[in-house]
Amino acid sequence: MSKGDCQETIPHLLRRAGFGSTPSELEYFQEKGYDKTLDELLHPDSVNNDALDKLIAAQNFDFTRIEDLKRWWLFRMCFTKRPLEEKLALFFHGHFATSNRKVNNAYAMYLQNLTFRKYGMGHFNDLLLCISKDPAMIVWLDNQQNRKGNPNENYAREIMELFSLGIGNYTEGDIKEAAKAFTGWQTKNSTFYFNASQHDHSDKTFLGNRGDLNGDDIVQIVAKQPAASKFIGRKLIAFFVTDNPDQDMVDHLAKVYLKEKGHIRAVLKALFKHPDFMSEKSFHAKIKSPAELVVGSIKTLQVQNLDGDLTASMSRMGQGLFEPPTVKGWDGGRAWISTNTMMERFNFATRITQQKFDAIEGYIKPGQLVAKQGLTDARGMVDYFVNLLLDGDMPASARDELVKYVSSDFGGKPIAAMPDDKLLDAKLRGLVHLIMTMPTYQLA
Amino acid sequence: MTISRRKFLKAGLGVVSVSLGGPQFLALAARAANFDSRQVGKSKILVTIQLAGGNDGINTVVPYGIGQYYVARPQINIAAKEVLPMTGQIGLHPSMTGLHDLYKAGKVGIILGVGYPNPNRSHFRSIEIWQTAEPARIIETGWLGRYLDLAKGQSVEADYPLSAVNVDASLPKTLSATQVVVPSVANVYDFKFSTDQHYQQDRKYQLSVFNDAYSKFEENRPNIDLLKKVGLDSVEASDYLLKVVQNYKSDVQYPDNGFGKGMKFIAQMITAGVKSQIYNISLGGFDTHAGQKGAQANLLKQLSDGIAAFEKDLQAHHVDRDVMVMTFSEFGRRVAENGGRGTDHGTAEPMFIVGSGVRGGIYGDYPSLTNLDNGDLKFAIDFRTVYATLLDRWLGADSRQILGASYENIGFVQGV
Repeated sequence: MSKGDCQETIPHLLRRAGFGSTPSELEYFQEKGYDKTLDELLHPDSVNNDALDKLIAAQNFDFTRIEDLKRWWLFRMCFTKRPLEEKLALFFHGHFATSNRKVNNAYAMYLQNLTFRKYGMGHFNDLLLCISKDPAMIVWLDNQQNRKGNPNENYAREIMELFSLGIGNYTEGDIKEAAKAFTGWQTKNSTFYFNASQHDHSDKTFLGNRGDLNGDDIVQIVAKQPAASKFIGRKLIAFFVTDNPDQDMVDHLAKVYLKEKGHIRAVLKALFKHPDFMSEKSFHAKIKSPAELVVGSIKTLQVQNLDGDLTASMSRMGQGLFEPPTVKGWDGGRAWISTNTMMERFNFATRITQQKFDAIEGYIKPGQLVAKQGLTDARGMVDYFVNLLLDGDMPASARDELVKYVSSDFGGKPIAAMPDDKLLDAKLRGLVHLIMTMPTYQLA
Repeated sequence: MTISRRKFLKAGLGVVSVSLGGPQFLALAARAANFDSRQVGKSKILVTIQLAGGNDGINTVVPYGIGQYYVARPQINIAAKEVLPMTGQIGLHPSMTGLHDLYKAGKVGIILGVGYPNPNRSHFRSIEIWQTAEPARIIETGWLGRYLDLAKGQSVEADYPLSAVNVDASLPKTLSATQVVVPSVANVYDFKFSTDQHYQQDRKYQLSVFNDAYSKFEENRPNIDLLKKVGLDSVEASDYLLKVVQNYKSDVQYPDNGFGKGMKFIAQMITAGVKSQIYNISLGGFDTHAGQKGAQANLLKQLSDGIAAFEKDLQAHHVDRDVMVMTFSEFGRRVAENGGRGTDHGTAEPMFIVGSGVRGGIYGDYPSLTNLDNGDLKFAIDFRTVYATLLDRWLGADSRQILGASYENIGFVQGV
């Protein structure tokens, strides 16, 4: 990939900074070019999203129901005009991983998710402070039980280990002291509540600072540590660019983080403009998360009706929205792939290609797409869908098997003439299904 | 169809023909039928159960005869009269009646005070240490993954795709290997390659095209090899495992929860003659920082009832001497309870070894509740001595090759 080659760089950017694209979105951004596209992605507030708001209002979601909340987010991912806003919310959901399985309060999970959108592109310390006071987080990591004279260390440990510094950059003593600083940070009726009678005002020593430190102080201290700049930089790269971040790129983003006082938008800009992001070795080099797989498929195939099956399917693939497996979030990368999750990916493809889902003109009708393209031969049809779904990334010999498939009857016997409508419909659905099971369809 | 199937077989994927009803399946079925006479006492199978979240060992193996216990835990202790006694000092949590019965029958070894030097209290680092058996540095492979790598082509046939089975949705690092990809199957009934219901007549051909296209998917790039291998293994194993389950008969009732179902599935595979040597399953929710009593009681009951049903089932199928079960967790929990009727991350923990080949009893001393390291128990037995014992005396491997050093063995395996 070269920066000037919009044919490849724009779809790559949209896969990583968003969830892929519909054909018309792709056309829109390709006309804009890379830099202007990136600029638009980095400034979601400048993009009109009324159509999404209207669509969501029409769904009448009940935000106290977790199933509705999952679908709400899926709608946003699929139909937003601000893809990076949603992708970054997903990053922070995995970073500050909170699960409703314990919180058991969908509305609090909804509020936390709004925080990711509101503060996601701002300064990291502001976001970290909001999260430290976040009702769902307080329940999730037991800070409700963190009391003066009887501390509970759960939040104090994870804010350093998983949210800001990474292991090795603090001591067990720092955890004990930070726990005292967060005593009395509680929640009541899904809002933050400072219980002064439970707060420990004693002097604490934390990462070289001493005094009557409170949770706010802890947040400000950790967010400006050089260790935080590297930790956040590395996690952003692992999420957006590559499973194995290169130290030079980590150092580069860390420098931007420190210079811009933890401004995430600036770090993201540096990330998406970095040569490593643009390089050939980044193309189709990351395994799609279940969210990327599901939302990307919906966008590419322009499915319009999103039912609860889709979010359930994502859960079975290993990514239940609002239900990350642990406070560490999803490991991502190769960990997405096991026989179990792979089978779910295959079966998701079946779900989407068989006659269940509505598309713009009724069900998905691959036959109509093919007719619109004026395609009449098996190879042309295969090439069309391989380009649409795999960006053409499939070895010729494997592609030949698909051509054979389309030009055979149900028993596998070659047919010479154009098949009848029923057989063609079956073959095209089968073709899309098969393409979606291919190794490169799993790659972003 | 015939062409694709030949390619299938040429790729060394023997079990695929099983799923298509070929002769190998009959051979396997026959082997399953003759299992008693041919394999009892010869197979050595290890089932590892991960108690995820850090199980509180002190309220699992309860030191009810040690006064300090009730001082450290005024709110969440287990009353002495409720404990299922093993000695005058220690006993099991009251919800572990199934395991207690097995203990009385001499089928449970309990190793006390297990841990490692410089304990790490992070969930994620500590479970990684237990899974990889490497406390000093981060490595890519798990201890049983390294065992499988070594066993490949020796005790395990080179291309057998079920050399081990993980009964969870995602693979734990324990089974991460370099030569072998261990399949994960959370629920065998969902583990099936589906095709368009409206065109069932197309299914067979579609499957064969899938396999042909996959076999030809040669790309020298990161991740493609993994995706290819896992994709082919998934489809290959699914029909076969479904048949395994359909052919299984048992009168044993398993608890109706995820863990019970998982243990049942493992028993189904073992009794059907699946040649896996290693099975892994996990039970989560042990991170009891708050409200520990009810939550842990429920989890320990699931664990104990699940293991008890599993042992009963194996006995009914006369394969109980072939299987050993081991439990572990990332750490135990702090001696003193915290402000939320729970416990924070700690260190040493007890491990359970269960099976008819186990020399039952208690190994090691209960860690002191007063001579502590920063509020935590001091470990006495390195977890790698437990692993080494299982590798050397149960799986018949050389533990030094897998653990990188020599560890003494503990006497919990019979006959050695």
